[in-house]
Amino acid sequence: MGTVHSAAIEPYRVRLFVEDEIVKDAEITVGVNHRGVERIMEGLPVEKANSLTEKICGICSGVHLWNSVLVAEKGLEIEIPERASYIRIIVGELERIHSHLLYLAHGNEVLGHETFSMRLFYIRETVMELLRMIGGNRVQYGVPIIGGIRPRAELDEMKIQKIREGINYIEEKVKEFADRFTSDPMIMSRITGVCPLSRKDALRLAVTGPTLRATGVEFDMRREMECYDPFEFDIITQDDGDVKSNLLVRVFEIFESVKIIRQALDNLPEGAIVDRSWEMQDTEITKSYVEAPRGTLYHSYAIEDGRVRNVVIRTPSMANIGAMQYALIGHHITDAQLGIVQCDPCFTCTDRAIEIIKIG
Amino acid sequence: MEYSLITVIGTIIIGFIVSLWLPGLERKLIHARIQQRIGPPISSPGIMAPLKFFFKETIRPYSPLPRLYNSLPLIGLLSVFLIFLFSVPETYHLGALASIVAIVGFLKIEEVIYVFMGSLSKSVMSLRMPFPDLAKGAKHPNVQRSFLEDISAMRAFRLIAFGSFPLYIALFIPVVISRSIFLGDIVAYQQVHGPILFSVAGVIGAIVFFIGYMILLNEYPFVILKAKADVIEGPYMEYAAKWRALVYIMRGFLMFTLAMLFSVLFLGVPPSIFSWGILVSILVAVLFPMLMASFSAFAPIFTFKQFYPVTFGATILGVVALLAAFI
Repeated sequence: MGTVHSAAIEPYRVRLFVEDEIVKDAEITVGVNHRGVERIMEGLPVEKANSLTEKICGICSGVHLWNSVLVAEKGLEIEIPERASYIRIIVGELERIHSHLLYLAHGNEVLGHETFSMRLFYIRETVMELLRMIGGNRVQYGVPIIGGIRPRAELDEMKIQKIREGINYIEEKVKEFADRFTSDPMIMSRITGVCPLSRKDALRLAVTGPTLRATGVEFDMRREMECYDPFEFDIITQDDGDVKSNLLVRVFEIFESVKIIRQALDNLPEGAIVDRSWEMQDTEITKSYVEAPRGTLYHSYAIEDGRVRNVVIRTPSMANIGAMQYALIGHHITDAQLGIVQCDPCFTCTDRAIEIIKIG
Repeated sequence: MEYSLITVIGTIIIGFIVSLWLPGLERKLIHARIQQRIGPPISSPGIMAPLKFFFKETIRPYSPLPRLYNSLPLIGLLSVFLIFLFSVPETYHLGALASIVAIVGFLKIEEVIYVFMGSLSKSVMSLRMPFPDLAKGAKHPNVQRSFLEDISAMRAFRLIAFGSFPLYIALFIPVVISRSIFLGDIVAYQQVHGPILFSVAGVIGAIVFFIGYMILLNEYPFVILKAKADVIEGPYMEYAAKWRALVYIMRGFLMFTLAMLFSVLFLGVPPSIFSWGILVSILVAVLFPMLMASFSAFAPIFTFKQFYPVTFGATILGVVALLAAFI
């Protein structure tokens, strides 16, 4: 497991330099549990390499696979059927909801509010079951394949009905939670103004995703993705960049995801779900960006004799965790964990590989 | 004399047995219900867990004075036992020992042991990583490390300095009203004039007492000694096997003893197995953890930013109750 204590929840190390319980400086060390996924992917057949990307993360496994498949589709110039694109979006947004709910539940646990944490996990359970229904698994549902989606992920009337019921329930419950959460003075006192990141610092430190939007920057990679063009949704922003803003951005993003899923279900096109009329050929290094639950996710590789080469993956947490070192300074040691958690760090995403640069 | 001895021993045994169920009641009946989960069996936190720990292999804690460190829960348990002992009516003839001043002294011992626990514990979670920080290009490589428990020791000290004010102020409200520091006189006063709880000072005092009870028991949101978020388990971290069992028992017994103290001071009902009064003590002992669990289930952990104002507010409330008691 690397140089990390077995009792630690996540394989990362935080050194806090404190004076009278106030953090004067911080150092977050990642990469202690690296698995070198990019290196393992090198030379594998494209489909196999794609399915390996799903193992990078246990929370946003679907979006990793989606992006990896997109790289191949871009390189091979494959146009996927519209129905497949819609189903990918439905799965992607369900994944965003479950990731955000996990974040909110974990955030509340760190806050010490076990009741909210438990109740949020119950709400999240609905999404997990929907994902299991669509993909066959709760964690690695493996929906996208090159050219479309896997046949088992096709949505029939029964599945569509269940998804509708599920998102209605989630919307109702998250609304109830949001009302209760924002009107609790004790909670607001604990999260307001804690470990804030200014807009300027967020841009300087290359922060991404909801953490960036919590500082007031209106940027969402979904706006750049063609497949999202038919959908109407808002980019949620908050101004303060603190724990409160981060929590609220994700709460409101859940409603936007529900909105997107509803539109996708209402306008789901008829027709095929996979295009198998493409041929494998060599490609240059192709890049793809998607909006993962934690921010912009980058995948790139070239194809040579049907195998992947020069794999590079950049996950949003890598940038966000770095910024948190900065956000902790000047705040109470009890808020330090909350400060780190506010960027929704995903250490399995982050600890993919380590690069040792020898100087001199 | 023989009868008195049986009463004292019997009352302590009954109190001890009830105290073993209190953590289970708190966690199963309230916390688990509110959090919509099944929760542990009702006997698990108070009885089965300590029992299990008694049969585990004892390890030597990583501490400069391991024997002293291990003996601290026993000292805590002893001080709580003494509070209980001198609250039983049969011991009231001992005078100074059965007085509020003695109880405050014993409670202070209970509080001070957390400072020692924190100072004497060097937990495995705080140990240095097995590679030098220089190799990672670390910031401030030569900074002296501190153990998590050092923080909890400092916090325990703060708790003594101001955190427990509300409880101690509440203890003195019955003293002011009955014009005596002796438990016997306080009980006798209430038998004549009715329970202090039913006066203005008593009602405010009861609220202050309850806040102090939660602070002293380190329950959410006042869990500064062992907040999971930053100091993991704080002073308890290195306790294993039978010593850990003693920590659990000490907490349960303190829960009962404080509630029993409330029934003596505010209701005028001392515990005795040969009187129905013990049922009142048991009822208060059950009610307090349930109320505490209801509050803590809906509260986040306080940092000092919230802890100071709440303690200060409760202290002010206590002072108001004291003034009302004088009137």
